[in-house]
Amino acid sequence: MKRVALLGLLLLAACNKTSAPAPEAVKGGPPPLPPYQMRAEGPKGDRLASGGDGEKLFSNHCGYCHLAGGMGTNLLTKQRMMAGEPPEKGMLTNRKDLTVEYIKSVVRMGKVAMPRQTRVDITDAELDVVAAYLAKAGK
Amino acid sequence: MKLTLPPRVSPMQFDAALKAFQGVVGKGWVLSSDEDRDAYSDIYAPGPESQWPASAAVAPGSAEEVQAIVRLANQFKTPLWPVSRGKNLGYGQAAPRMAGSIVLDLGRMNKVLELDPELGYCVIEPGVGFFDLYEYLAREKAPLWMSVPGNGWGSVLGNALDHGIGYTPYGLHARNLCGLEVVLPDGDMMRTGMGAMANNQASHLFPMSFGPDWTHMFTQSNMGVVTKAGVWLMPEPETSLELSFDIPNEEDIGWVIDTIAPLKISGLIDQNVFVPSWLGKIVLKGQRKDFWDKPSAIPDWRVKELLKEHQLGYWKVQIRFYGDENVNKAKAEVVKAAFKKHLDTPAHEVWWRQGEERNIYDLTVGVPTAVPLQMGDWVGGRSAHLGFSPVVPATSKHVLDQLKRSRKIIADHDVDFYASFTVGGRFANNINMLMYDRDKPEQVESMKTLFNVLVAESAKAGYAEYRTHLGWMDAVADTFDFNNHAQRRLNERVKDALDPNGIIAPGKQGVWPSVFRDQSKEGRA
Repeated sequence: MKRVALLGLLLLAACNKTSAPAPEAVKGGPPPLPPYQMRAEGPKGDRLASGGDGEKLFSNHCGYCHLAGGMGTNLLTKQRMMAGEPPEKGMLTNRKDLTVEYIKSVVRMGKVAMPRQTRVDITDAELDVVAAYLAKAGK
Repeated sequence: MKLTLPPRVSPMQFDAALKAFQGVVGKGWVLSSDEDRDAYSDIYAPGPESQWPASAAVAPGSAEEVQAIVRLANQFKTPLWPVSRGKNLGYGQAAPRMAGSIVLDLGRMNKVLELDPELGYCVIEPGVGFFDLYEYLAREKAPLWMSVPGNGWGSVLGNALDHGIGYTPYGLHARNLCGLEVVLPDGDMMRTGMGAMANNQASHLFPMSFGPDWTHMFTQSNMGVVTKAGVWLMPEPETSLELSFDIPNEEDIGWVIDTIAPLKISGLIDQNVFVPSWLGKIVLKGQRKDFWDKPSAIPDWRVKELLKEHQLGYWKVQIRFYGDENVNKAKAEVVKAAFKKHLDTPAHEVWWRQGEERNIYDLTVGVPTAVPLQMGDWVGGRSAHLGFSPVVPATSKHVLDQLKRSRKIIADHDVDFYASFTVGGRFANNINMLMYDRDKPEQVESMKTLFNVLVAESAKAGYAEYRTHLGWMDAVADTFDFNNHAQRRLNERVKDALDPNGIIAPGKQGVWPSVFRDQSKEGRA
């Protein structure tokens, strides 16, 4: 719980002390605030066609919230730490327990703060590639 | 979500319309499964999502495809609900005002068409999000800053067209729009401003036209579909200095506004100054139950304890200067002297200089983020929020008057008070954030009752909302009642003249085409 509270304090500090240098990492605590995480550029060509680079598609379509410092990463870091896991498990790419079907379900059906993604946000073909990538990424 | 057809459209007619749309955009970009309808619904809906159901969505890839779809929609009498990216969280997301409307999702139209670092503007399509434009500017190494709202996940044009606000000197986003390209309800296309002349060289520079300028006829509007627009961007400053103050007491907001507003009006402060109450800062510290474990509103004595424990003021003032270092220093001295008349504690000062990273969570330096939406975690569950957002004159008299009124109404409904004032010049946007757990129906009902009272009581005192959720668009439009609702009567005359089939966004902002006026009582929260 202490480390979870620490994450909250870190976020609060980040929001209050704007433009201050990123705080040093606290031993055993969450990582320091990262700089802006550039997403990979969006795919060119037919988004309905199968195939593509999972890492890039994940970065482009999910990177709004699921890169370091994103809203999804922050909430999942807190959730994972409360489950007794290390903070880095808040990054989906570090998870070893994800499956293709679970990822597709959460993306299309939403979960807690995660809104459902439309097929313009991410097409079925793109989601196939992203789900396969995340199901393997942390293993 | 089950299929709700548009009013008076038969299943066969609907099916024929979708097939015709497929002929324009391709089969894969007409989305009409139950899962698609769910994805276009409002995840923050105050009540069942099925109250604002889309029947389908169609996603064109170009302005020409938008024209073709609009013409077909007229032919099949299937109304469209245009969204840029459909991320209008808190105001209805992508869901339509009228049940059965087909979402016209412009998310695929996401090109940056032009960028001029010298004159500081870009020309973009509606699907360009804040993250997209930020990254485009970074890749092009363009020395330009954007103004971003609380939810950076959305569209730059969508936010500006819906009168969104940000917290830089370019924070009135609709004012940054210059030169729109619009598909009219009959499928015709026009350009506003100087762009009404083909190949005009100042299309995105001069903010008016020759003769009437129609630009703002298309903001918060259902008079057309914007397919591209010029957006002014701020030159990257050499330095930036932030002064922040913790303001101890609730009633201090009076002198705070009287201190900031004249400096903003005179131009010494050029940003939109955001002044949130304490709850805006504490929501990121944990969940509500960690601070107050009862369902009732947090009582004043506990608020006092929390402020002390967490070393917070009741209000937080953050004022930022942008530009030359010496000018920023001089401006800061003026502000510090003005605050010193009321506050002993000195300002906390943080400098930023070109070449340094910008804080990714600081909206006043124009970095897009969705992290402010994390506040939903405060209530837990399927959390959601609504903002009651009246515009008030930027004087202590009016700010305190509105504060006391909304404070009492919110307390009477036993809800936590979370207010902010954003000083935009002669006015302040007073956003009262109302957070609720959608899995607790009694909380949702209480919030709806509360919202209705806030709209009605504020209107009696002469204050109106600048933006609202689908469920209150008619209620708020009703409050604009001068001369027997003359504005509504004009809007309806224009709407019927331009859009006799009522194809574009029927009911948007309470403007109903005559053909669908019988639907206006539905979908009210």
